[in-house]
Amino acid sequence: MTKQHPAWSPYDNNGGTCVAIAGADYCVTAADTRMSTGYSILSRDYSKIIKLADKCVMASSGFQADVKALQKLLAARHLIYQHQHNKQMSCPAMGQLLSNTLYYKRFFPYYSFNVLGGLDNEGKGCVYTYDAVGSYERVGYSSQGSGSTLIMPFLDNQLKSPSPLLLPAQDAVTPLSEAEAVDLVKTCFASATERDIYTGDKLEIVVLNKDGIHREYMELRKD
Amino acid sequence: MPILLLPSTNFKFFPPKLKCVDMKLDTSGLESTSPFFGSGDELCPELSAAPSFSLPLSTDFDEFQKDTKATLKHAKGTTTLAFIFKEGVMVAADSRASMGGYISSQSVKKIIEINPYMLGTMAGGAADCQFWHRNLGIKCRLHELANKRRISVTGASKLLANILYSYRGMGLSVGTMIAGWDETGPGLYYVDSEGGRLKGTRFSVGSGSPYAYGVLDSGYKFDMSVEEAAELARRAIYHATFRDAASGGVASVYYVGPNGWKKLSGDDVGELHYHYYPVTPSTVEQEMAEVAGA
Amino acid sequence: MSNSAIDVPSRGGFSFDLCRRNDMLAKKGVNLPSFRKTGTTIVGLIFQDGVILGADTRATEGPIVCDKNCEKIHYMAPNIYCCGAGTAADTEAVTDMVSSQLQLHRYHTGRESRVVTALTLLKKHLFNYQGYVQAALVLGGVDCTGPHLHTIYPHGSTDTLPFATMGSGSLAAMAMFESKYKEGLTKDEGIQLVVDAICSGIFNDLGSGSNVDVCVITKGHKEYLRNHLLPNPRTFVNAKGYSFPKKTEVLLTKITPLRERVEVVEGGDAMEE
Repeated sequence: MTKQHPAWSPYDNNGGTCVAIAGADYCVTAADTRMSTGYSILSRDYSKIIKLADKCVMASSGFQADVKALQKLLAARHLIYQHQHNKQMSCPAMGQLLSNTLYYKRFFPYYSFNVLGGLDNEGKGCVYTYDAVGSYERVGYSSQGSGSTLIMPFLDNQLKSPSPLLLPAQDAVTPLSEAEAVDLVKTCFASATERDIYTGDKLEIVVLNKDGIHREYMELRKD
Repeated sequence: MPILLLPSTNFKFFPPKLKCVDMKLDTSGLESTSPFFGSGDELCPELSAAPSFSLPLSTDFDEFQKDTKATLKHAKGTTTLAFIFKEGVMVAADSRASMGGYISSQSVKKIIEINPYMLGTMAGGAADCQFWHRNLGIKCRLHELANKRRISVTGASKLLANILYSYRGMGLSVGTMIAGWDETGPGLYYVDSEGGRLKGTRFSVGSGSPYAYGVLDSGYKFDMSVEEAAELARRAIYHATFRDAASGGVASVYYVGPNGWKKLSGDDVGELHYHYYPVTPSTVEQEMAEVAGA
Repeated sequence: MSNSAIDVPSRGGFSFDLCRRNDMLAKKGVNLPSFRKTGTTIVGLIFQDGVILGADTRATEGPIVCDKNCEKIHYMAPNIYCCGAGTAADTEAVTDMVSSQLQLHRYHTGRESRVVTALTLLKKHLFNYQGYVQAALVLGGVDCTGPHLHTIYPHGSTDTLPFATMGSGSLAAMAMFESKYKEGLTKDEGIQLVVDAICSGIFNDLGSGSNVDVCVITKGHKEYLRNHLLPNPRTFVNAKGYSFPKKTEVLLTKITPLRERVEVVEGGDAMEE
């Protein structure tokens, strides 16, 4: 039997893992900085996290070209929003915009897996998690990308909060302090890097709180 | 997994053609109400015009959809149900989203609040349901503003069915029930992405629906109190989550009456199990004999 | 049927009907189980006193690392070792099988095994299976005719080279060899070059990773340096550790021994020697 013709594909997978954790008054968003294809590393220092608004960052993994196109479109739409409303977009508004933007490509999707982290209008941490075509949900923590199946069960175990759908409603705030959440994220990535070949090189952590935004970095395995 | 863009039998190299074309479809209700300054701007028509769906310019759209679907498995697997009874409509659903064997979420809001008098349920593609229900909400509100009265459940379900029918064959996956209360009383419609629209008194949709129907059909009476109906709905969802691996999480129950909808309960099905089947210290059926003289 | 000859399995030799069946099933959408593969960088070179082999220690199953510290340098004979890349089960099975054949051959002849013997046995087996035994090997050893280094491809073809690389990291490793290899390296220089080549594979190829194994074979002597270099330690450990809440209640701790069905009588009559 002859092999099929190698068909051309508009998509590639550049790997990478993203995590976001929301706290009472902060939000930690993190992603590794490796970009790869197949068995090759394309870059060891590619930032997957961009700041969309003052209180809103997006971490994306998947296909870098689609991610870049998506980031540029969101940046342009946010600029128009600022001109029209003379203010920064809130994180929940950006969440809905991202959902719609993804859905308008329903029949030719952006191959990107996103988490949106930020602070809502009351200053509480918020995380939105998406699929490739724009179904989204506000959650307390989330992980997306190649290492998500390794990280998500650990976060469930450490942070599992009562479901927001429960009635009578139960208090669902991540019980960690900001420093603890950052340490948890570091552990997640150190562990995921041990077992996922597409995660590694360096970890970029973006912390949003009432004092503003700051980034920190941690080295990961480079193999 | 490689995506086959073209059927492999007559393979031709087409990449330069694969750019987006705008397909003008039904986007009424999506336009920004205030036009932008210089909205006729040719420099960025993509940004200033009403958004529309971009399509891959591929020779075989069906094949492309099939392969894209395999690569980007969207959230699926569900049990939802709704029924009309004496006091109104009862709507219930689980909250699990799965991608293949992986549970991607245990807290999906599958009952979508379209307006204070109308609910939609979500089965099939999560994004498809979320987007088009939100879109329906916009249309219903515009109808209210234009006609000074709320839209009927019949009208709303038909709006949705017509949209979905216009996208028929393009790969949307929606199985929904529109439940509400209008001038004619309680209303319940089943609408799906194949173009179907059914009026009825009892529906269940999703991978867990056979199990839910089993409980629902055996326990259903028209003459039920709200409490009885809520319990029936909850039990049906619980039993579906018990047997269907793609359903689970929280069983939410909503009631739509003359004064609009109200959420009656939300219970973790794991805890419901111990509520329905309490653990009693079991008597040992057969005690193993002690070793004689050991 | 005009070309019915195609359907009739050829007489003699091996039957590949099941391979065709598997292809057909795969096309119909049956998911075959995934194999543990050693994505792998394996290398070997000849230095002034003998042969040095090297390997990384990562084994993968698709994108997941399933063994962080596996052994890829296999024993063939006291004076011959073999690095394996490809499906882990195949490389292990084929090297074990040939090493036992070599042992029997030594019992029979009473002489040290030769590298060419191992080479012939390996390539014969791989050629017979038309590449379905997925083993890509670097074979090295020192025998009475001096040091030898060979590469063996899954289909059974072989090369005889002064330095060789195999596996998904072979290009990265070969880059180091091509730029730095020269004839008559000392042992320390040779080990350093092998380590550099493996590290190049570890850091630039995602299929290779973790640690460096080295094996030095000289006339009448060998040195297996397991985990010679550990260039990839874990980068972060939470000082406080993590607790995992216990949810399952212990209801019963009583142990009920099973009734013994056979009585064992200790110290009966001693068996005749």
